[in-house]
Amino acid sequence: MNNAVIKSKEITLLEILDRVLDKGVVISGDIVISVADVDLIYLGLKVLLSSVETIEKLRGSPFVGPMQEAR
Amino acid sequence: MKLYLYGIIDSSGQIKQSIYGLEGAGVYNIPFCDIGAAVSEICRPPQDITEDAVLEHESIVEKLMADFTVLPVRFQTVIEGRDNLLSMMRSYYKDFKDNMERLHNKFEFGIKVIWPADKIKENIIKALKKEKKLDLDSSSGKRFMKEKFEKYKIDKEFEAKADKFIIVMDIFFSKFAVEKENKKLKTENLLLDAVYLVEKDKERNFREAFEHVKSSRPDFKYLFSGPWPAYNFVVLSKKPGLFRDSEQADLLDKVIKDQILVGADSI
Repeated sequence: MNNAVIKSKEITLLEILDRVLDKGVVISGDIVISVADVDLIYLGLKVLLSSVETIEKLRGSPFVGPMQEAR
Repeated sequence: MKLYLYGIIDSSGQIKQSIYGLEGAGVYNIPFCDIGAAVSEICRPPQDITEDAVLEHESIVEKLMADFTVLPVRFQTVIEGRDNLLSMMRSYYKDFKDNMERLHNKFEFGIKVIWPADKIKENIIKALKKEKKLDLDSSSGKRFMKEKFEKYKIDKEFEAKADKFIIVMDIFFSKFAVEKENKKLKTENLLLDAVYLVEKDKERNFREAFEHVKSSRPDFKYLFSGPWPAYNFVVLSKKPGLFRDSEQADLLDKVIKDQILVGADSI
């Protein structure tokens, strides 16, 4: 996998997770075979976890990681 | 054949870049009319949501974004076979086209602003105390009601201050954005969690606006991310009635022709 594109943008995994797992085009209907019920629950949990982590991070003082824009 | 779907693109032509997706398979375009679905073939749907898989998905969408207007599809969307995919494209076509038109030549940026909630509250309490007269004769019932009311006043003032800051910041950001989505006080510290849709040629202006806001309130903390594919601005209504009957036959002819062409060229 080429991570260069992602790294160059100086973003955190959480920002990616919040988008890739929770946003964008969501196709509904029987033709989609991968997003099964179990996956959806897991997906929900992951999104929840990422949100909680985000909140926890934000509660702390400065941001950590490459995305830091804090003063 | 299972097709892992990365995004919908504004082209029915070939993807010229060599992009490799899940399981190392090449990412190619399955056209439908004048748009296409960027997919790769996989043997079985991914079982886990791993960090690597998420990053890979995003990386592929970003590569597509370099050459096309992309509607990013949610992670782990797998469709069984080309016929099902074309049927999906047919039913969402109008929606996809509307979104592509709206999102053409635009990026998404994320902005999070953290303010020192404790300090803000402290200042509010101090200000309220100055206004307050001492009432030593209060009964415990009265005191309870007073405390409740004071908490209400603090919360209200806290919200009002948040609104005030957000309005000012948003004036700067909105100047160079075409759409936005703002969330106020998701937590006490997270003053603003916003996404802005920005035209590509306004990126610099938008960044400058951000720097301006940042320098005007150095006591706040900021997080800026992007440019992103417009994940937060895809709006699907799955409008029914794709085409009038008279258009349907022409459309199908075109799709079949495209399929034959791409079938010959695809990797």
